[in-house]
Amino acid sequence: MAPRSFGVKLVTVAGFEADDTLEQDAQLVQQCLQGDGSAWEELVRRHTRRIFNICYRFTGNGTESEDLSQEVFLRVYKTLGSYRSAHGGFATWMTSVTRNLLIDHYRRTKRDRITDSLEDSMPVVENKESVGRRPDQQLLLGELSYQVQNALTKLSPELREAVILRDLQQLEYNEIRQVLDVPEGTVKSRINRGRIELARILQQMGVRPS
Amino acid sequence: MTWTCELTEARLSDYLDGLLSPDDRHAFDMHVNACEHCVPFVAGVSHLLTDLRSLEQIEPPPQLVTLILNRTIGPRETKKGWRLAFGWLNALASARFAYSAISVAASLLILLTAAGFSWRKPKLADLSPATIYRFADQQAHLVYARSTKFVSDLRVVYEIQSRLSKDNELPTTPETTMPQSAPGKNPGSTDGTRPATPKQQNRANGIGRELELLATQVPIISGAWSGQLIGRRTP
Repeated sequence: MAPRSFGVKLVTVAGFEADDTLEQDAQLVQQCLQGDGSAWEELVRRHTRRIFNICYRFTGNGTESEDLSQEVFLRVYKTLGSYRSAHGGFATWMTSVTRNLLIDHYRRTKRDRITDSLEDSMPVVENKESVGRRPDQQLLLGELSYQVQNALTKLSPELREAVILRDLQQLEYNEIRQVLDVPEGTVKSRINRGRIELARILQQMGVRPS
Repeated sequence: MTWTCELTEARLSDYLDGLLSPDDRHAFDMHVNACEHCVPFVAGVSHLLTDLRSLEQIEPPPQLVTLILNRTIGPRETKKGWRLAFGWLNALASARFAYSAISVAASLLILLTAAGFSWRKPKLADLSPATIYRFADQQAHLVYARSTKFVSDLRVVYEIQSRLSKDNELPTTPETTMPQSAPGKNPGSTDGTRPATPKQQNRANGIGRELELLATQVPIISGAWSGQLIGRRTP
């Protein structure tokens, strides 16, 4: 009998660095460096949604995500001259800047995180009550997304960013390696542990898999 | 190789991402199917992965792009009313447009002038195609006639110059032109030299007349040649 396969619906993870996107971004960057304001505006429009999603999935807070997204673009705008296409695509470089800002933000707000961890040590409430805490976010995100977001915030930063970049932003291992600036083996290890931990947290929250 | 639960946990992501070799994948499946601990474990993570990849991107606040642009390249004014209606005029204030406009105006000026348009007494009828064509045709013929005449005049001058230069080559000392008496002959007899024939004289007079006529038409050279011609009119 053929063994049962637990193959996930293997979605082809193509990453966001398609050749056309790479070339268009490179052209826009060159135009920006020559002082073309409309090129910068186009870059902002192309990448705002993605950067906001990374920030939101990492912080779980809409207001903080807005502020952090602005900080990301401000930093990119100021350091655009330091970007080198030989070091990777513009989107990858921008994700790296985002990640660094998120980690800095996380360390600055560590005190608040300690408080949250104390709350986490209390008995896990049922899913109904956790849903009732933030009805606006639940309505905004949808139930599954809201539950995943809750579970993500309970992961450590290293595992959280790995899962976000791989499974929510669908980056390739090579791109994640560039963003995190760690060996590929470390990237795989973090992704694996992050997925397992996330599944365990969701199970503890009583979230049934689809 | 014996596949264990620890190995299953360690290689789970490789399995779910399709990175295992066929042999490892087979071994993985064989173990998981037979292990009561690994079945729910692998199923839970695989379903999580499916859910994660099905999540849609969260839409950012609509004002976020504007906020980012304001913080980077600065706030931009939103044009309203007449500013919006006439905002396109700002594009005319560029150097490139000014150069283009001047070039077009200069071209029109040249074309209208060449077409015979009178700037002192402008008439709308001067701009009609028939008038322009007629004027252009007239101007073309005039230019052709003048150039032809000029070439013809130059040709006459050249011929005269060449003839005069030939005449200048002949000996002109009085001893050669004046009839000379032969030393050994009796007085009254000629020395054999022949004076200018009537044909030659007429020819010289004709050249002189032509030069005079030319002098009236080509005043530039009249001063240079008239003196010499007068001296050469009579032998």
